[in-house]
Amino acid sequence: MKARTRTIISMSGLFALCLTVGCERTPHEKVFTIGMSQCNLGEPWRVQMNADVKNAADKHPNIKVIFKDAQNDTLKQRAHIEEFVSAGVGLIIISPKEAAPLTEPVAKAVDAGIPVIVLDRRVLGDKYTCFIGADNKLIGREAGKWIVKKLGGQGKVVELKGLMTSTPGQDRHTGFRAGIEGSQIEVIFEADMKWLEPDARKEMESALARFDEIDLVYAHNDPGAHGAYLAAKAAGRETDIMFVGIDALPHEGVMYVKQGILDATLQYPTGGAEAIDIALKILNGEEVPKEITLGSRIFTTENVEAGGELIGS
Amino acid sequence: MATASVQARPEQQQAENHPLLRMTGISKSFGAIRALKQVDFDLRAGEVHVLAGENGAGKSTLIKILGGVHQPDEGRIHLRGRLLRFHSPREAVAQGVAIIHQELSLVPAMSIADNIFLGHEHTTGGWLRHQDQRQQAGRALKRLGLTADVRQTVGTFPIATQQLIEIAKALALEAEIIVMDEPTSALREPEVERLFACIHDLKVRDCGIIYITHKLEEVYHIADRITVLRDGDHIITARVAELPAAALIRSMVGRDLPESARDATVPAPSGRQVRLAAQGFSVQASRRGLRPLVEGVSLEVRAGEIVGLAGLAGSGNSDLLSALFGVHRGRVAGRAWIDGRPYRPTSPRAAIRRGIALVTNDRQRTGLVLGMNIAANMTLASVARVSPAGWLDFAHEMQLAERVAGDLDLRAASLTQPVATLSGGNQQKVVLGKWLNAQPRVLLLDEPTRGVDVGAKQEIYQLMNRWSRAGHAILLITSELPELLMMSDRIIVMHRGKVVAEFDRAQATQERILHAAMGGAAASSE
Amino acid sequence: MSDELKSIPSLSPAHAAWWREALRNPVFTAAAAFGLVLVLGLIFSGDGAFYKWGTHRDALRQASVYGILACGMTVVIISAGIDLSVGSVLALVAVSFSILSIHWGWSPWVAIPACLAVGTACGAVTGGIIARFAIQPFIVTLSMMVFARGMAKYVSGGMKVSTAVQGADGTYSYVDVPEIFRLIDSRLLGENLSVVSLIFLACVVISWIGLSRLRWGRYIYAIGGNEAAARLSGVPVGAMKVAAYGLAGLFAAVAGICQAAQEQQGDPEAGIAYELSAIAIVVIGGTNLMGGRGGIGLTLLGTLIIGYIEKILSINAVPEANRLMLTGVIIVAAVLIQRRRV
Repeated sequence: MKARTRTIISMSGLFALCLTVGCERTPHEKVFTIGMSQCNLGEPWRVQMNADVKNAADKHPNIKVIFKDAQNDTLKQRAHIEEFVSAGVGLIIISPKEAAPLTEPVAKAVDAGIPVIVLDRRVLGDKYTCFIGADNKLIGREAGKWIVKKLGGQGKVVELKGLMTSTPGQDRHTGFRAGIEGSQIEVIFEADMKWLEPDARKEMESALARFDEIDLVYAHNDPGAHGAYLAAKAAGRETDIMFVGIDALPHEGVMYVKQGILDATLQYPTGGAEAIDIALKILNGEEVPKEITLGSRIFTTENVEAGGELIGS
Repeated sequence: MATASVQARPEQQQAENHPLLRMTGISKSFGAIRALKQVDFDLRAGEVHVLAGENGAGKSTLIKILGGVHQPDEGRIHLRGRLLRFHSPREAVAQGVAIIHQELSLVPAMSIADNIFLGHEHTTGGWLRHQDQRQQAGRALKRLGLTADVRQTVGTFPIATQQLIEIAKALALEAEIIVMDEPTSALREPEVERLFACIHDLKVRDCGIIYITHKLEEVYHIADRITVLRDGDHIITARVAELPAAALIRSMVGRDLPESARDATVPAPSGRQVRLAAQGFSVQASRRGLRPLVEGVSLEVRAGEIVGLAGLAGSGNSDLLSALFGVHRGRVAGRAWIDGRPYRPTSPRAAIRRGIALVTNDRQRTGLVLGMNIAANMTLASVARVSPAGWLDFAHEMQLAERVAGDLDLRAASLTQPVATLSGGNQQKVVLGKWLNAQPRVLLLDEPTRGVDVGAKQEIYQLMNRWSRAGHAILLITSELPELLMMSDRIIVMHRGKVVAEFDRAQATQERILHAAMGGAAASSE
Repeated sequence: MSDELKSIPSLSPAHAAWWREALRNPVFTAAAAFGLVLVLGLIFSGDGAFYKWGTHRDALRQASVYGILACGMTVVIISAGIDLSVGSVLALVAVSFSILSIHWGWSPWVAIPACLAVGTACGAVTGGIIARFAIQPFIVTLSMMVFARGMAKYVSGGMKVSTAVQGADGTYSYVDVPEIFRLIDSRLLGENLSVVSLIFLACVVISWIGLSRLRWGRYIYAIGGNEAAARLSGVPVGAMKVAAYGLAGLFAAVAGICQAAQEQQGDPEAGIAYELSAIAIVVIGGTNLMGGRGGIGLTLLGTLIIGYIEKILSINAVPEANRLMLTGVIIVAAVLIQRRRV
């Protein structure tokens, strides 16, 4: 066990070193050190989250952020928190892989006097300083409402779902169904494409083979929508169908809308910039709300140049 | 040389016993092939009954029926007077029939004790009684004169010892009928003697032993009665005194065979070119701390000469051959020459390029690719010959295979059938055919006739003669001393890695060779 | 006669029913298993979708990347080895190809050979380590799997390499999808055959020639059948292993190029668990994992079997959980049909 912990620590430390070396500038006077633990930098959306944190932090020379990647391993993430605590950082930001195993390390950090901001995914109980996240149900519902408006209340829709064993997938699904309730929108085909573009393309090909009339495709993420678009394009039907996705990363979903591939994408905000704002408030001793729900924006062909528009209650 | 005496019990006492086993009218067919036709066989308690016949005669089918592997189409089996049918090997073993196959049925990764009790473990309520098993295993081994730690894994022992462990397994199961299928094929002389002593022991305990062997001198050493099968028919059953060797062979083969095989027309090798020479040749053991496998061996083989390399287990003769073939790269010291030019054995590929061939003593493990067909196996050492510019020329390959198959009188339905379906003798012919196609000039033969029937053996001797006539050099290892004496022009004897004696054909006798091989004072020629 | 068509001859040709004889032929049983899947498709046709040619063309396209990987995997498995790294090498090449073509604007005449070289090099290194140090292929290819994935993420910076290029100031500009990507992702013969499928079939043909017509193929079968006997017969075992794994890497590179073209981006997360699908295809086709037997024809059938199972489940919109269970059952059924009694 000891050797393994040593390896985990040294590898995380090595990785952290690489990341910090890769960061552009170190501030001249570091007043506060913030430790950021990301559950999986394999996901581009999380890479974006870290990028947002970094961009926001760079604007404030009095904070320095140390980034650690748990590579989708809960135990590694626990080790991150423990390391941050023993290194005595000023504040911890964590985007946990799972709620239950990380609840206790976070609680211990709070007990040790270090404030903890939880991003995007929750921990259990209430032993943390602040939770910042977006509401996938809200986003799904807004997508449904926009689709109802765009189709004039009726139409045939294909739903391409994300991994339905994950909360985002379930929420974006139930939210959407709530959003289209009461209208004549008919979901003629649904399939689980597990967030992957090639899988979405496969499922869309099946849908195209089965149904001659499809009005719109609602995919739980932009890569899925893009895959569906490619399938439709290969069948020569991309102009007859509209495509809606979620995530709205600037170089992905937003770009697709600008290029006319997608008709709309809803932003699933990373909360990275907000986290730094809240962190600064905390470090300056201010009170912050326990829960912050991020708003979302919708980018459509009409408003994408203007930067989209806010949605949600 | 003292031999364990395996005497026949007095006639009267044998006749008084009811036969332990009686098989009557056994017939068995596999599709269109009739393996056994109305065969009768009986076995008395306390006798050694040799079952003789060429490969394909039906011996192993009869044994498999007795062992519960096959069901006979016709016929009955009576064991101790009771009519029985064995539906599975387990049933046969439960009735006291133990079969020791030629292909060992041991699990190399398990210990001796575990192997001996495999399938018949001693348990109390599901828990293994290890101590109990180990004791019994140790006792069984001792009866065979083996001292080995029963906890050691079987795979670490040489084949000879594994064969004895297999026999110990039968003993531990308290079998009354023990079938031994070529039990001495991998044993050296002292081990064979131990086995015979053990068989005598079993006879005294009233066990019946069915003994299958191709070695004629063994037949006359231990048999009480002999039964000959040929092509599925029962030819004859007789007391050993009534069936001399020539008559025995005639019944087995259906024709007379020449007495001696070595072709006397081959001109004397002295004065001819030295094809293979080695000086101060040594091979280190693979594990540290063990004595060298081969130490300071120097020898010469001339064109057309057959030099026999005698030695018991551990003498290093096999290792010498494989080292000359480039197998033990990195552990070899000393010098060697092929046709006068220096030769460094770095790999089998390099050895083949220099015109050397090695026929290994374990064709299934190291000589053949069982999943491939006959033709492909026959060209395995010379694939480049049948693949100009890298493209396989199947017609040419078949041509080569057919020619060699004809030379060797290989009996197979088609050269595209998998090699695994052939009998032992025919498989060995495929191996020899492979080397024929590689056109070597130096042949290293390690037990070339092991597990091969009488007819095929003759053909292999003829092949060796042809090679020698063509001016090739042959180094021959065989544990059948009569064969060694028959074929060799000279015999070199090794003991514990060193050369201890050398005999000319004229001076060599079995006793002198064995004496030297066992480490007796070197009895060298003049 | 190619090795895969050798069947152990029945001992009683006069008595065996012709179908019993045929059941011993692995190509026949694989084809029978595929036939069974086709029948399933005709029955559960997804509102008639199965009767349209487009569905079949798509099924073939979707299975092609896996099939290309399976071609290389077949060679390695016949040599009694295994290659767990092909999914990661696919990702590395997908990323590299995207960077070279989209971001650096290299001509495909240079980019493609360069990427194929990268894949082949990864495979050759794996094969070299296996041959030289006699370490089990499982371990060595597992290490390469992790290493190549890491390289893919390093080279791509952890993000997908797409037509959005990040400038020095952090803003994104958008370039066109390169012609070569469009070409690979297009269809021929009047929209009836995908180029990717054609590439897959070309890989099948190349592997078939190699395994059954070239000296090299004979060596591979020998090594897989009995490595000790092959070595003692003068077969250059080490060099052949390097070649086998190098070929697997080459095919992984081809698959990576096709994947990048079909996604119009290089995803460092691409190909995860693809090696398992490739192994499953090879095994379902009937090639034995122990080595020494089997062939590419079987792999082609295995690809079709798996590809069609997925397609049938997809056009019938079968929920995910049911898909997994049904796939498991169908695979076991397919393998049972092919069980050889000898």
